[in-house]
Amino acid sequence: MAAAPSRPFDYLEGLPGTVFFKLYQQPSTALAIFRRMLPDLAKCFVMALLYLKDPLPAGDLEGWVKSGSIKERDNALSILGRLHILSNTVTSDNVRAYMVTNPFSTSLRQALTGAEQTQSFGVLAQIPPQSAVPIPELDEYARRQWEGVLGYMVGTSGLGAQREAGLSKGVKQLLQAGHLVEVRDRRVEITQDGFAFVLQDVSTQVWHILILYVESAEAIGMDSVEVLSFLFLLSSLELGKSYEKRNLTSNQLRTLTDLTDFGIVYQDSTEATHFYPTRLATTLTSDSSTLSNPIAGSLTGPTGTSSGGSKAGTGFIIIETNYRLYAYTSSPLQISLIALFTTLKYRFPNLLTGKITRQSIRRAIEMGITADQIISYLSTHAHPQMRKHNASRATSNQAGIPSVLPPTVVDQIRLWQLERDRVKATPGFLFKDFVSLTEYEAPCRYAEEIGVLVWKSHKKRMFFVTRHEQVAAFLRSRK
Amino acid sequence: MPRAVRGVLIECDPSVKAIILKYDEERHDYIVEDLDDDRHLVIKESQLQNLKYRLGKELDDKVMQPDESESE
Repeated sequence: MAAAPSRPFDYLEGLPGTVFFKLYQQPSTALAIFRRMLPDLAKCFVMALLYLKDPLPAGDLEGWVKSGSIKERDNALSILGRLHILSNTVTSDNVRAYMVTNPFSTSLRQALTGAEQTQSFGVLAQIPPQSAVPIPELDEYARRQWEGVLGYMVGTSGLGAQREAGLSKGVKQLLQAGHLVEVRDRRVEITQDGFAFVLQDVSTQVWHILILYVESAEAIGMDSVEVLSFLFLLSSLELGKSYEKRNLTSNQLRTLTDLTDFGIVYQDSTEATHFYPTRLATTLTSDSSTLSNPIAGSLTGPTGTSSGGSKAGTGFIIIETNYRLYAYTSSPLQISLIALFTTLKYRFPNLLTGKITRQSIRRAIEMGITADQIISYLSTHAHPQMRKHNASRATSNQAGIPSVLPPTVVDQIRLWQLERDRVKATPGFLFKDFVSLTEYEAPCRYAEEIGVLVWKSHKKRMFFVTRHEQVAAFLRSRK
Repeated sequence: MPRAVRGVLIECDPSVKAIILKYDEERHDYIVEDLDDDRHLVIKESQLQNLKYRLGKELDDKVMQPDESESE
């Protein structure tokens, strides 16, 4: 599965090259980036170049790709460049060439073939098997902590069923610093970003939180590179094994304690000599997102103990074409999420019924939730029966995701949103006053190629772009 | 000599565009460039929030909505 552009990728991309240099010193980081961040074609390139001593002429490498897939090739090369994995150089006879950058290649080779120094992947603790914490218990701990974080954000305490999962002050401060919640008059209120956050799937949420954590690390006197490479280390650990804390630095120990609050790692107490990564940590950089399903499933499951169930059996929401919604859940978190955009009607011990109405959707949209978020939440958690029912007529919507929801409902939710947002606004720059059509055409085509063009008119010889720097430079260069 | 002007591209229904044009006639303080088709125009960035608010209010008042009965 090709890794989609994601928040961790965006964050990494924005870092300066010197940070990459430090990050790639660690074999675990190099491997994690390789596993999680690269599309398949980029992986091919890296593997092919990894053991080459000399740069490979660009023409040779580009010749591997069929002419029909030039777009994929350029995309892969651009990602590799932006992550500072591949560098452009010249061979001895002055031909343009590619080569894998140094700390990355050494580290990835070490990760693949092993090396004397293995601390980069953690040190296993020697403890008797009977005293080890079993995996179901780790899952339960991760689920409880994570649901506690989400519950704190949406304020499930209003429903009276949620006990605080021992959230530390640091967790609450982090959520506030990330503008996911605001505290007004000692009451916690969720923000727009917070809404978007709670409706995402668990692995995206974990990354979001971790990036906030890395960003705030500098403020509390920790080196963000050190924290980041420690996260990559955690992600390469094995679920159900315990690891030594002895060889960790003081900053890493501090991070470990903070991550315990989120349920990303587990330790018996802060004085314990070893720690366990939970499923939240070990699936961070795994290539297949389905691995996180057991957690998501137990988060959303009716009783919270269904993690042993089949992967497909994790959904619990049924929507009919008449906008009525049935949710087989008793989780206060899920109920308050559904209540954000549904008019609730009845609540039974394991079932909740309600109706999606114009008012309820408008209310949600006024709070800053988008129609797409609601739709993606509903389809993520659709009941297996709905998937079965719709599998026969598996139609794809524009985004290419097979729709499991009734199309009428999906369309109507979008229409209700459009009613609110009657105008679509795109900030940017209008280019105008071109003397001739030829003068207009070249920059316009250039803007389209670099993907900043939003609107154009041949008749008026004007076009609108989201960013002007490159187009302006292009215009100057043609003078 | 080509120029670049900062602004916000607005994409909307022809009816909404007509309303925006009407607002602009009052003091000419919204529109940077009328793009001469039914659906697009460029407005000043500073006026975007104001415009959205005015539009929302006006259309909520004027557009009829069918009553939603709580019964089935």
